[in-house]
Amino acid sequence: MRIADYIEQSFFNLWKKKLRTFLTTFGVVIGIGALVSMISFGKGMQKNVKDQFEKAALFNYVTIISNSEGEHLAHSPRHRRVEPESNRPGRVLDDDFIHEITQLEGVELAFPERRFPANLKLGEKEQFALVQVLPTDVCRSKLMQLVVGKPYMSDNENAVIISDSLLRRLNIKDPKSAIGRKIEVATLILDLKNFLKPGGIISILAGKSLPFSEESYTFTIAGVCERAGFHGPMPLRSDVFIPPGTADQMKKLSSTSIWDFFQSKGETKGYSMLNVRVSSLKYIDSVKAYAEDQGLRTFALVDQLEEMKTAFLVMDMFLLAVGMIAIVVASLGIINTMVMSILERYKEIGIMKAVGATNRDVKKIFFFESGVIGFAGGVFGLILGWIVSILINRVVNHILSKQGAPHVDCFAFPWWLCLGAILFSIVVSLIAGIYPTLRAARVDPIVALRHD
Amino acid sequence: MDFNGFVRTENLSKVYSSGRIQVVALDRVNLSVAKGCFLGVTGTSGSGKSTLMNLLGGLDTPSTGEIHVQGKRISEFTSDELALYRRYQVGMIFQAFNIIPSYTALQNVALPLLFSDVTKLQRLRRAEEMLAKVGLHSRKDHRPGELSGGEQQRVAIARALIHRPNIILADEPTGNLDSQTSREIVEILSDLNRNQDLTVIMISHEEHLLAEFADEMIRLQDGHVVEQSRGD
Repeated sequence: MRIADYIEQSFFNLWKKKLRTFLTTFGVVIGIGALVSMISFGKGMQKNVKDQFEKAALFNYVTIISNSEGEHLAHSPRHRRVEPESNRPGRVLDDDFIHEITQLEGVELAFPERRFPANLKLGEKEQFALVQVLPTDVCRSKLMQLVVGKPYMSDNENAVIISDSLLRRLNIKDPKSAIGRKIEVATLILDLKNFLKPGGIISILAGKSLPFSEESYTFTIAGVCERAGFHGPMPLRSDVFIPPGTADQMKKLSSTSIWDFFQSKGETKGYSMLNVRVSSLKYIDSVKAYAEDQGLRTFALVDQLEEMKTAFLVMDMFLLAVGMIAIVVASLGIINTMVMSILERYKEIGIMKAVGATNRDVKKIFFFESGVIGFAGGVFGLILGWIVSILINRVVNHILSKQGAPHVDCFAFPWWLCLGAILFSIVVSLIAGIYPTLRAARVDPIVALRHD
Repeated sequence: MDFNGFVRTENLSKVYSSGRIQVVALDRVNLSVAKGCFLGVTGTSGSGKSTLMNLLGGLDTPSTGEIHVQGKRISEFTSDELALYRRYQVGMIFQAFNIIPSYTALQNVALPLLFSDVTKLQRLRRAEEMLAKVGLHSRKDHRPGELSGGEQQRVAIARALIHRPNIILADEPTGNLDSQTSREIVEILSDLNRNQDLTVIMISHEEHLLAEFADEMIRLQDGHVVEQSRGD
């Protein structure tokens, strides 16, 4: 028998029982659709995270943390603290250290973590935010992902980069319209005049006034970037970025919280964190070793890659298990359908054997029928999974846009998933067809010919 | 009887077992049929006629004894060899027609070719030729439900002939037909026997009709051949 004949026979036989074939195939469609959605969701999330990091070259960064900052950050569940081998007091993260670290092989850039609180005013809208001081080099690197506009070009430029999410909070829907607009940045400075006035201390303690006053500066919005990371050890951790030279001219509090404000009293001067960019991943270890030798803590995202991979693998396995349940149910449907088909076509099998069909011919006829169900289930399951992913993506992005978050693609459909889903569906269907097929091949033609 | 026959059995026995009960369907039957002979087989129900036909057709295997067809011992054939024997060497016709209800007459006739390496075009062309031979070309696209009993049996005959076999085994082909149609069917088989030198072995209860066309006749009773005679 020719392959084309097997396929034609399969369609012919399945078409005879349209409703049953449709329902059985639909079971496979649901199973494959669920499986494809689950896997593509897992892959989509992995791709999002990895692409984001790779796009921004985040794997090339090492964060060096002063001991006091490390203790503070250790409270954050997302942050993994690396313990130095020795317990001696850590080196102060000052300009001398920055100079030293930039002399190491492979180090392209090192810049401190500097942020200060400010009140931003754009038009009638105001928002409180932390402003990060970011070197021009970093601002011009691919770490800074601009949606529109351009980075500031010098350390003394009177310009800022603002995130798209902050813009939305400031009621600006179209990022393009913000480019070139003036934004007022009001910093907080310590003002003891209120404190020294009669009754000043009581007024402050009663919460009626604060020992701070505001100092306003006006900047031009040069560019709009995607939302930066706030909780992770990423070099960009604010919604507003300004050049260091410009920041140095501003009066401001260097503390980012009341906690920091009180903690910083009496402590040695220095930065809380230092971000170091290396030209290649192979220099990560030497930079870390240098910092840790000086009693500092370090963090490199690349160290988390393996952990991330393991976490994603576990997630994949979980999603796969959920999808497999649907496939197992669909397989039972195929077995049921094929067994029913054999019972109904019992005499037909006998006739085929009587006119010269071998057991192998009979097996192949039923195997092809299972395969056709699997193929149709795989193709339509893939389409279903794809449609479901589009719908879920739309809903998720609708919710995210309301929260000011950028657009994400939750699902990924690599070519191997599309091809693999169809092949997997065929293989599962063939496996489900083994028992019915063997049963068909075992039919005794004499008994079958007497069968009504 | 020709003991160097085209179709020959030696001490052919078939015993069916059901638990402890054993039923002897055929008991040491010796038979020899010459090439081109029309052999009629008669006997009462349960005499072993259909069992003999199933064994000669390779649908069943003997308990003991041997079957030789064209010099080959088919009683030793494997399952696959028997399938090929059924496909190419014999054409079988049954009382219940045994044609597939969902297939058209043309598809039913072409069915045996499906298992050979024959293209669809060739299959249908040869099936049309066979249907024309049995006078059913105009009914080729009809399904069995739309055909009379005689027409269905002619479809079965056309199907049996599609591989141009040397032997036709007909197990009561007139059993479900009226006398006029029965005669037409036997005439077709007789015509094939005489004009195409086909060896025909036919079972029937209608002894007179069989005797009219058969070259030789045997009667089975309780699994034994009890009578052998020449036809009219």
